Amino acid sequence: MIASRTSLRRIGWAALLAVCSAALFALSLRVNALKSEVRRSENRIVALRQETMYLETEYETRSNQQLLSAWNAVDFGYVAPNAGQYLENVRQLAALGKPAGPGAPSPIRVATAQIEVPGVIPAMVSPLTGKPLGDDNDEPEAASADHDKAAAGLDDRLGKVERDPPTKSPAAEKANKPASKAAKP
Amino acid sequence: MNALTYSTALASGRVQLANVRQRSLLTAQVRLLAVMLLFALAAVACVLRIVQLGVVEPAPRASSLYEAMLPSRGEIVDRNGLALARAFPAYALWYNPAALGGGSPLVRSPAEIAHILASIFPDADEADLLRRLIAGKPGYLARRVLPEQANRIHALGEPALEFPREPDRYYPQGSLAAHVLGFVAADGHGRVGMEEVFDQQLTDPSQRARPQMLSLDMRVQGALEDELSKGMLETDAIGAAGVVLDVDSGEILALASLPSFNPNRPDQAVNRLVFNKVTNQVYELGSTFKPITVASAIDAGTITNLAKRYSASPIQIDGFTIKDSHNMGASLNAPEALIHSSNIVTARIADELGADRLKATMIALGMNERPYLELPGRGFPLFPRDERWARITNMTVSYGHGIAVTPLHLASAYATLVNGGIWRPATLQKVAPGLAVRGRRVFKASTSARMRQLLRMIAVYGTGRKANAAGFRVGGKTGSAEKPGENGGAYKKNAVVATFAAAFPMDRPRYVVIAMLDEPKGTAAASGQRTAAWNAAPVVGRVVPRIGPLLGIVPDDSRDIDLTDLAPLIPHGGGE
Repeated sequence: MIASRTSLRRIGWAALLAVCSAALFALSLRVNALKSEVRRSENRIVALRQETMYLETEYETRSNQQLLSAWNAVDFGYVAPNAGQYLENVRQLAALGKPAGPGAPSPIRVATAQIEVPGVIPAMVSPLTGKPLGDDNDEPEAASADHDKAAAGLDDRLGKVERDPPTKSPAAEKANKPASKAAKP
Repeated sequence: MNALTYSTALASGRVQLANVRQRSLLTAQVRLLAVMLLFALAAVACVLRIVQLGVVEPAPRASSLYEAMLPSRGEIVDRNGLALARAFPAYALWYNPAALGGGSPLVRSPAEIAHILASIFPDADEADLLRRLIAGKPGYLARRVLPEQANRIHALGEPALEFPREPDRYYPQGSLAAHVLGFVAADGHGRVGMEEVFDQQLTDPSQRARPQMLSLDMRVQGALEDELSKGMLETDAIGAAGVVLDVDSGEILALASLPSFNPNRPDQAVNRLVFNKVTNQVYELGSTFKPITVASAIDAGTITNLAKRYSASPIQIDGFTIKDSHNMGASLNAPEALIHSSNIVTARIADELGADRLKATMIALGMNERPYLELPGRGFPLFPRDERWARITNMTVSYGHGIAVTPLHLASAYATLVNGGIWRPATLQKVAPGLAVRGRRVFKASTSARMRQLLRMIAVYGTGRKANAAGFRVGGKTGSAEKPGENGGAYKKNAVVATFAAAFPMDRPRYVVIAMLDEPKGTAAASGQRTAAWNAAPVVGRVVPRIGPLLGIVPDDSRDIDLTDLAPLIPHGGGE
């Protein structure tokens, strides 16, 4: 009985030892795996640093001052800004917008084309045609709605928060229908 | 007998039992001790391992990464952190005839390989390559091979053509600031410029990870070199030099000496090109010295009234005649003398001032010693050696003859003239704000304020009008000195050194700009003139608008230094 208890204890210890050493082995494997991962990342860091350095050097060589000034002399002709191009403070900025004094030359006015639909402000205007851009449904409406009718629907539209095309108004709807047909083909 | 035997047997049995017990106890104790020792050993081993992990182990690993990141030679950067010189592992083309292990070193014929290599390297000599391939000796066929070129060589499939990566020094800006940077010779040590000055820091493993920061601003350096070389080409000069100096800290933002060299090709850096005209060559800088004389006289109190007129008739002294380049009228006051650059009147002002005081000013400005700068090559000025200057020496020095200094001396002196009167040594290392050297006072602040006005007047009314960049409030003085002949012979009439020393903006001076042209000719671009007003001044006039906005100086037409108290003294305006 005593012998069996002793041997049982011994087996228990041995089992514990085995479990511990197995755990230790597993742990050291994990540690080694992590270590080699760290080393791999370090190598990658070094490689990336090198790569960055090469690219940086290439960029700096291509953008070197002598090359830039040679290009500027031949192709671009940029010059340093002069005094007239600087505004020192908000007063100078505000002075640009003050009304002309008596006898002052009239300011240059920039010519503008008449906007076709004052009621509907398009989100974007094509730089080529000068027409409002949008999806197919919007464009013919914008092109055809005439001034009075757009004004008639104004109340309705202003009453809403979200932008809504003037389809709610029966007058505008009537005006729109032939126009959209005409525009489709 | 029997009983005795029994008793002895019994006794001996007992003794044996006791012995057995004792022995087994001892064995148990020994075993226990052994086990404990084992455990203790294991514990000690664990502790040792922990100590090793904690103390010894990480160090070599960290240093290996550190070492891998460490450049073979430290970087040099400009004040904005732009790399000017860096270690760059480039490919080289190495011929290794032993690569195939005996027999013919090349798979194809040498002639064919030489032809292909010549097509990859357009600057290579095909006959020379062929000779080296046939000779069969290991050696470099090319250095600094581009990756694309290396790929094309690799595609040839010749094992004898190897391209090892080797550490090399690369200067991305090419010849820009070559004299400041210098180059690295084949022995791995720096030569000429800051490469030589910082050699120890750049090669020391504990220091080279941190780049060495210079005070140069590459954009300013680029603009200065560009305009100087244009000026040099326009006037057909043999050389040019220029400096941009911060008047308050002594930092050099640009330093150019032309013709220059490319530090990427140290084999082509011959002495003539490597010689630094700004710090190493001394020149008689002529009329640019006149403001120093006038400042000295105002400071000493010998000029109390700027309206005082001096006779402009030539001075006969010790068998010499001091003359002006042209007739400027019967008499001139000090502002007029500066505006028209009169030697005679400046000599009279110096005569009134006295030789000792002018000499003391020159010494205070460091004109009698090598310029203060980190660079190794610094020229020693030709300073009149007499203990007491003769009257004639005093007079000639007053207008910049009989004394030869480097352009850097002049830059420091002009910084002193305009910054409130404090002389500071120049430096090529970036100075943190507020940490500038204290320097020494040479002029009073009031003298400096007066000199700003006078220098500005020269640029507005006088010989410096071509440097008067709109909105930048430039002030400065021209100087056109004839060069002395060889071995101290007579002055050469047709060889001059044209200098323009300027500072801007004059209402609160920040930078000194010096432009110097060596032996400019009277070309059409300079309107047939050889003097500084026509060649060096326009260079400054083009440099200032380019560098001003970069340095935070906003051009402003509505602002200028107040000249109203001096303007009445020059009734006829400029009219040079």
